[in-house]
Amino acid sequence: MKQDVAINLNGEIYTGRVELRTVLVDFIREVAGLTGIHVGCGFEGRCGSCTVILEGVAVKSCLMLAIQADGAKVLTPEGLARGGELHPLQTAFRDHHGLQCGFCTPGFLMTLYDYVKDIVARGEVPDEVQIRQAMAGVLCRCTGYVNIVAAVRQTIDRLNAMTPAERQKWFPL
Amino acid sequence: MKSEISGDVPWVGQSIKRKEDHRLLIGEGSYVADITMPRMLHVGFLRSPHAHARILRIDATAALALPGVMGVVTGQDTAYLGSILSDLSVPNLPGETKRPIFGPLPLDEVKYVGDLVAAVIVQERQALEDAIDLIEVAYELLPSVIDAEAALRPGAPLLYPEWGDNVVYHQRLEKGDVDGAFASADLVVRERFRGHRCGATPMEPRSCLASFNAAEGLVLWLTTQRSHIKRHLLAEFFKMPDNKIRVIAPKDVGGGFGVKAPLYREEILVCHLAMRFGRPIKWIENRQENLQNIGQERDQIHELEIALTREGKILALRDRMVANCGDARVPIYVSFAMPWLGMMYLPNGYTIPCVDIDLTCVVTNKAGLTPSRSFGSFSGRFAIDRIVDIAARRLGIDPLEIRARNCIREFPYVTATGVNVDSGDFLGALAKIRDALSYEAFRAEQALARKQGRYLGIGFSLGIEFSGLSSRILVPMERQPGYGVATIRVDANGQVQVAHGDQPQGQGHDTTISQVVADELGITPDDVNVISGDTQSVPFAAGTLASRMGGYTTSAVLLAARGLKPKLVRIAAYLLGIEASGPENFVFSRGEIVWRNDPAKHISLAHVAETALLAPTELPPGMDGGLNYTAHFEADTNGMHSCNVHGVIVEVFPQSGQFDILRYVAVDDAGRAINPMVVQGQLHGGIALGISNACFEEYVYSESGDQLATSLQDYLIASARDLPHIETVEHNVPTPHNPLGAKGKGEGPTGMVPGALGNALEDALVPLHVSITEMPFTPERLWRLVEAVRD
Repeated sequence: MKQDVAINLNGEIYTGRVELRTVLVDFIREVAGLTGIHVGCGFEGRCGSCTVILEGVAVKSCLMLAIQADGAKVLTPEGLARGGELHPLQTAFRDHHGLQCGFCTPGFLMTLYDYVKDIVARGEVPDEVQIRQAMAGVLCRCTGYVNIVAAVRQTIDRLNAMTPAERQKWFPL
Repeated sequence: MKSEISGDVPWVGQSIKRKEDHRLLIGEGSYVADITMPRMLHVGFLRSPHAHARILRIDATAALALPGVMGVVTGQDTAYLGSILSDLSVPNLPGETKRPIFGPLPLDEVKYVGDLVAAVIVQERQALEDAIDLIEVAYELLPSVIDAEAALRPGAPLLYPEWGDNVVYHQRLEKGDVDGAFASADLVVRERFRGHRCGATPMEPRSCLASFNAAEGLVLWLTTQRSHIKRHLLAEFFKMPDNKIRVIAPKDVGGGFGVKAPLYREEILVCHLAMRFGRPIKWIENRQENLQNIGQERDQIHELEIALTREGKILALRDRMVANCGDARVPIYVSFAMPWLGMMYLPNGYTIPCVDIDLTCVVTNKAGLTPSRSFGSFSGRFAIDRIVDIAARRLGIDPLEIRARNCIREFPYVTATGVNVDSGDFLGALAKIRDALSYEAFRAEQALARKQGRYLGIGFSLGIEFSGLSSRILVPMERQPGYGVATIRVDANGQVQVAHGDQPQGQGHDTTISQVVADELGITPDDVNVISGDTQSVPFAAGTLASRMGGYTTSAVLLAARGLKPKLVRIAAYLLGIEASGPENFVFSRGEIVWRNDPAKHISLAHVAETALLAPTELPPGMDGGLNYTAHFEADTNGMHSCNVHGVIVEVFPQSGQFDILRYVAVDDAGRAINPMVVQGQLHGGIALGISNACFEEYVYSESGDQLATSLQDYLIASARDLPHIETVEHNVPTPHNPLGAKGKGEGPTGMVPGALGNALEDALVPLHVSITEMPFTPERLWRLVEAVRD
């Protein structure tokens, strides 16, 4: 059985007629052709490489159906940069060597997008344990996470140094 | 050289940001799964639910009736293709080797849970599971054997009855008067160690896409560490010329760690099916079949004993080493190449003059061992570093002191197993770890903590890490060359392209190679474009393995850049009107070729390149156009190695068996770090894998042969919250055997973990007399050990 869906991905509406059982990650990768997010586990939500921002919240797109996201606004790594300028998270990952093979990186970027948005809004300065806790939903085999922690710290510092309006630019969802 | 004229800082040695990152951060990485082609079909595999069974019947009627199912292919359909293994794909090592005979799909027998049964080809990927579920197979169950020692007993079920036993490989390696050393020893320590089955498990599963047409031949996009070797093996198997096969590892491969080095049956099948169906066919491995089939390594038992003097000097080592190789149907490695190299590295960084090691590699009804970072040595490194600590405790010698007394001090040193260790400084590294962990202060804190009922412990490991393997080792081991190779082509605008044979899986090769070329040719890393992975455009090489990039491939890159210089300076001199002279009279700096005698006389590399490529009429008389150079590098030694020391501090909670890693410090020898940030990243990742392996991960087989960890919920890869901060301390000793002095990084850090961690755990539990001899270090295992002693 098939159904029409229309999903706003990074500000652009993609439509498709999909099987009801089609998961969101398959819609994003195969129907919309946005291959920035990846599938690294058995659609069990453990690896986190498929994480996207759906209506402002980080979700694992292998754990929901495309039809559930019908009409929703979704952000993927392709939509993080603004006018050619990299998102503070992207810059920090590069500055601190927070990625190696890059397969899990999109999952970290989207998970941490949600996290830093929240942390900065609440004016909190998390310690290392809290940052590591926030990262636990995404698995990486290359980096040992050390440099990702450093990247999160830099991102929070940079966002804190911005005016609310500047900051808002980096969080469209 | 250039700094004396321009004051430039060399690029080598700088932690410049990686060139690879931008595309990966904006979602433009390109992995095999991202590639699609018109009319592409998808393939999936029906796999065995039994550890050992005869296939009586396969009925695909219902599956074939499903819309979109294009075919079901079984072993009967592919039998004519013949057997996969040949002299090219079986290690040629001293000792007794046997060879399993098998084709891409089994004719009538499955040998482990997850083994291939049939291939299903569909139009839409989503139909795969439906179709696979509809295939009916009748099996006759056969007796199975899971445990390696049980498989050695008389009457055990045989994996390959034609062999007469279950031994795929056996070697006894003897050097020196071992019996005499044991007879004269003041102390003999004997222990049985078990290194469990775990491995590397990259986040990107296996994936490939094959297409075939008469003009191009077979084109295979593959997530692999070694395109050329696989092309050559595919050509041999399909009886096609090499030049009718093109293997492409895309720019982005989602981690390899050794797992993507063998040629797999599934990859051969996808090629076959693309030719059989005349359409592109794609296979994306799912995580369940990934965990059932590949990335499984270690799985060794060591019955190890060492003989020592009263002063703690190790005189001799004996080991009865048994490796559980599973079904061993893994081309190139046949699952015994890893334990063999593990045996060679058993003495590690310790000077042990006499050894007697008996290695038995056993086939069982488990998945075959596939290479995983630390290649065969994870269990042995655990055993040797543990037994050194056990001996130290019995002799009342400090663990750092016994290491100082037994580590390699004079270089080069050849171990009793024949490994050449060229350079390093263990004593210096031991001093640095002592400082980094404030050793004396820690011992005082530990003593105090014990009085308060807290269990703190410290442990060390000491080891050598190879920096590539020379052809003299790699040719017999894997029938492959060890050389590094690179081709440099200069473009007409003076920018350069480097094609090399060491395609990366995240290690930052584009960046480090660019740094090396930039220094040599006086340009910037941005002027360098690096390509790899495509057999059509890069020179033949063995691929990325054994940490060979830092020592071998960067050296070839350097030599290729250097090889261009005589021609470059001849053109420069001619155009400048200077009497022709050699490269030693010119400096390459900031895009210019500058005459040493008079720096006012200089010409841009771009001008020289444009002349060579576009205006050969203006070249010196008799000179041909073009600017290309290919260099091969083979070190003038059998082995370049780093000498490293790791240390860890833990706190154990005996009531629950849980523990915290409070500090983890690696004192590491990168020779000369081309990009220290990249080196550090390799250490972080390698150590994280080691901790995750040692503490959390295990491929658990039930007695009936079910592999129980078939999802990442069960096969526990450590997350950020499970791991400590990892500290690194440089202790670089350049190797004299390559032009930069650089040593490779990647393979080594992982194997340093279990010894250091096991030693720390036992040190913490000394008051409870617990002995740590098995992995993984789960809370349950530690709790049981504590409880057993209490009872």
